[in-house]
Amino acid sequence: MRRINQNMALGAVIVALALFALFAWVPNDTVSGFVESKRGRLSIGDAMAPGIAFGLMALSGLILLLEARKGDMPGALEQRTFAFLLVALTACAVSFGVMIWAGPLAVAVFGGEGDTYRNLRDTAPWKHIGFVLGGTGLVTTLIALVEKRVTSNAVMIGLAAALALVGVFDLAFDNLLLPPNGDQ
Amino acid sequence: MTNIFKPLVAAAALCAAPFSAQAQGWTPPGPITMYIGFAAGGGADTQARLIAQGLEEKFGWTVIPQQAQGNSGLNLAAELADAPADGTAIGMVVSETLTYSALASGDPSVQLDKFTPLATTAQFQMGMVAMDGGDFDSWDKVTAAAEAGTPIRFATASDRQADMAWHLGQKVGIDFNIVEVRGGKGVMDGLRGGDVDIGWVAGAQSKPVQQGEMTNIARGIKTPLADTPDAPVITELGSDYLLDGYFMFIAPGDLDPDAREALGNAIRAVANDSSTDANAMLTKAFGGAAVVTGEDLDIFMEHSVKDAAALIEAVNG
Amino acid sequence: MSETLQYIGLGIMSVLNGPELFSIFGIGVPVAIVMLMGGLLTGIAVGATPGLAGPMAMAISLPLLISAFGFTPDALLPVFAFLIGIMKGATLGGAVPAILFNLPGTPDAMMTTLDGHPMAQNGQPKRALRIAQLSSVSGDTFSDIVLFVCAPFLAVIVERYLDLPEKTALLILSISFIAAVMGASVGKGLLSVSLGLIAAFIASGSDLSPRLTMGIPALREGFSLTAAVLGVLIVGEILSTLEELWRNKHALKVKDVENRGAIDGLQRGDIRRIVPYIGRGAVVGTMIGALPGVGSTLAATLSYTLARRRHRAITASEDPQFGTGVPEGIAATEAANSAVSGANLIPVLSLGIPGNAAAVFLILAADSIGGFNPGPAVFTFTENEINPQLVTAFGIFTLMALGNLLNWTVGGSFMRAMGVLAKIPAHYLLPVVLLVAMTAIYFQETSMFAIWTTLGFGVFGFFMRKMQVPVLPFVIAYILAGPIERSAREAFSASGADPWFLFKSPISVAFLVLSLAAPVFLSRGGKKPS
Repeated sequence: MRRINQNMALGAVIVALALFALFAWVPNDTVSGFVESKRGRLSIGDAMAPGIAFGLMALSGLILLLEARKGDMPGALEQRTFAFLLVALTACAVSFGVMIWAGPLAVAVFGGEGDTYRNLRDTAPWKHIGFVLGGTGLVTTLIALVEKRVTSNAVMIGLAAALALVGVFDLAFDNLLLPPNGDQ
Repeated sequence: MTNIFKPLVAAAALCAAPFSAQAQGWTPPGPITMYIGFAAGGGADTQARLIAQGLEEKFGWTVIPQQAQGNSGLNLAAELADAPADGTAIGMVVSETLTYSALASGDPSVQLDKFTPLATTAQFQMGMVAMDGGDFDSWDKVTAAAEAGTPIRFATASDRQADMAWHLGQKVGIDFNIVEVRGGKGVMDGLRGGDVDIGWVAGAQSKPVQQGEMTNIARGIKTPLADTPDAPVITELGSDYLLDGYFMFIAPGDLDPDAREALGNAIRAVANDSSTDANAMLTKAFGGAAVVTGEDLDIFMEHSVKDAAALIEAVNG
Repeated sequence: MSETLQYIGLGIMSVLNGPELFSIFGIGVPVAIVMLMGGLLTGIAVGATPGLAGPMAMAISLPLLISAFGFTPDALLPVFAFLIGIMKGATLGGAVPAILFNLPGTPDAMMTTLDGHPMAQNGQPKRALRIAQLSSVSGDTFSDIVLFVCAPFLAVIVERYLDLPEKTALLILSISFIAAVMGASVGKGLLSVSLGLIAAFIASGSDLSPRLTMGIPALREGFSLTAAVLGVLIVGEILSTLEELWRNKHALKVKDVENRGAIDGLQRGDIRRIVPYIGRGAVVGTMIGALPGVGSTLAATLSYTLARRRHRAITASEDPQFGTGVPEGIAATEAANSAVSGANLIPVLSLGIPGNAAAVFLILAADSIGGFNPGPAVFTFTENEINPQLVTAFGIFTLMALGNLLNWTVGGSFMRAMGVLAKIPAHYLLPVVLLVAMTAIYFQETSMFAIWTTLGFGVFGFFMRKMQVPVLPFVIAYILAGPIERSAREAFSASGADPWFLFKSPISVAFLVLSLAAPVFLSRGGKKPS
């Protein structure tokens, strides 16, 4: 029963979203509309293709509703799935956050007078701080999530992976910037 | 208006010594990010990357190329406008981006006055191209076919080119079927596949024209095309405007004048130095380096903005 | 004809005379061949590692290869060489854990476990691996030959007889077909296609103010193709495997087989026994592979089923049957699933329509580097001028032929050495793969926004997997969205704004009727594994 309901719900949500996009989003977020008159001729506007795509989406939702009624559709979500995803995404977000902010923070605390991270973004060791800390964090936390405990193995693997990437790409390629240095 | 720069370009090329940029006493405070407003791998992208390489070799600066393509260069403009105006952020676009495209988009944050033009590198070799030996390989054949009632499919790669095709058609009394495609390559693929009849190409047609596959039936720029010197200029055919322009580097607005001069001279030094890969590429694929900087560039840009405004008015007004 | 031969020659020379990486005894070794070899060995290793797969390795290496070789046309062949090497190696490597540990290294090796593992359990793992290698490489070679012959032919026909409206209709037919045949239901296939189209349409229009950006500046350039494809295909897969491991840490653990003292290695008469099964498997695989989106798992299943029926009919009932470790079973599946890979490139090279994940990454490579646009224009045999795209296409064919040669020769021994890889715990490997993937994307896009986008698409791909919405139609629709919209717009304006432009020629009407018919009729047997 639970599965059938989920597919019903999926179909209904999809139809609703597609209709909303078709009548509210697409017309209001495109300049030229479905068709426009340009240089004395009619031409296809920017809203046409997305309009058709959302139409297909609505159709797929309707088909899902029909299929769900026939029953026995595979695919189901459980609460545990959301729990896993929440933890995994938090780990990713925190790790990438560390990657972005560790370097500028280090420059602010230990850097010289008037140094900015932007101007040091291609200078060792500043440019490596964020990537190594954030990269190690990402690998370690994800391993720890599966193992359900933090082991020194996990930290070593994370650190080794991050250092290996720094070693290979920073030494071999002149013009590559490790994350997050291209955004500075 | 372009050939008044010719002597200036030549004179500047002679004066531009490799050390001129350092002589200004300005050096970038950190690595320079060079945004490129073109698809990776194309001629314009390669040109920009070779200039970056030349700047690194000649001046010891660090230049990091980065793609910011799409939307006729306006994506790059929007990104560059937010970057620091200290000479560590520059971008390569075509002059059309800050003139026609900026005006047509109506977005105040990407207009010419929000940027500092640094230096041009090459001029469009804009031709109206058709398959050689086909039904449309001269302007006379095009007009004759139109009079006979044949619909003529005109491929264009930007809004400005489409407007110019329409404008020319209005002037000579032909109602072209204007087909907007992707880039000069898209125009040439369309010609080869027989999907379109004629189209604008800004320089990529050089090789097929030399090999006799295609031909320039008219030119959009004032100076004769290197490959087809006798192709008539479109203003002789009836157009009020030229379809000219440059590949050029720009920086955010309010750039320190010293930085502007140093960067402009550095780009000139790289583009004009025949020992650099950038110069070889410009000579091979863009009809040679054409560097304009400083006030001359400001004058050209202002003139182009006026022309673009008049064209937009003529087409939509 | 002489033009064709000239282009074949140029294609071979473009591989052999390419830039040299180093020289042995004064003979230069072209970089493309080194890359092919590297890719092949990587592919075998990746295929042999449960939890990793060929497309994953292609996805991650692509941005790195582009960083290494740059965006010049010279980069095309070395980059393609590595990707093709992975593609070919992974089909071979996937059989290793399937045979040794009853654990398919790649999804299409599922059927190989049925007879491969019992044979290994009977004490003949080497024999099983050897038969798998022979069958796999034969199937692959056959299918490549079909590709070499058919792709140019098909492309020339398309370019000669199809105008802009027919090309538009053909693209519509291909995504309709993919929606119909992939995944558990037509509704979910269509959902996946429509979402792929929508994601691709964000910010990609022709107005000077990008559409559907909701005013978010970072969306001005739209989602990056790499971020969307890697997110849905790779990050989604990593997340869902990690979740599986989180629920059950031992999900991908392997058990060794003990040797029971049987004589191992290829037996007399084996080759004669398996040849007919290889032949049929190769034909089945090639035919299925030529249709976009149907997939190697179906090819293997179909071939195995046909082979089992045939085998039962011609053998005595006391003879060993399928499922007990007979060589014919391994041969039928391995020949079929490997034969899919070459034929899958027929629609890619001649029409620009990708049919499976490996093809997606080849298109992505061509798109990122530039100078080679898979589609009918590739096979224009120009008279006065050399068409560089055609030279590249024949260069790719050369690389595929060389790849088969390497698979025949060194592939076997390398493959047998790879059994050990299955013992690396996947929960150590996958987080590292995630970090490498994210770093690789950053090298190409240089923006943290691309990383967040990839993660977002990863979550999206994760939910699609959980809800059994097939992910490949999403990716294929994402890639075809631009071409469909462009060709429709071009066809419309070239026709002088005729609203019925799609219905003016019988060919285009036929394509459109077929696109409506595909979901209706193909869905009857629609419960196929994707």
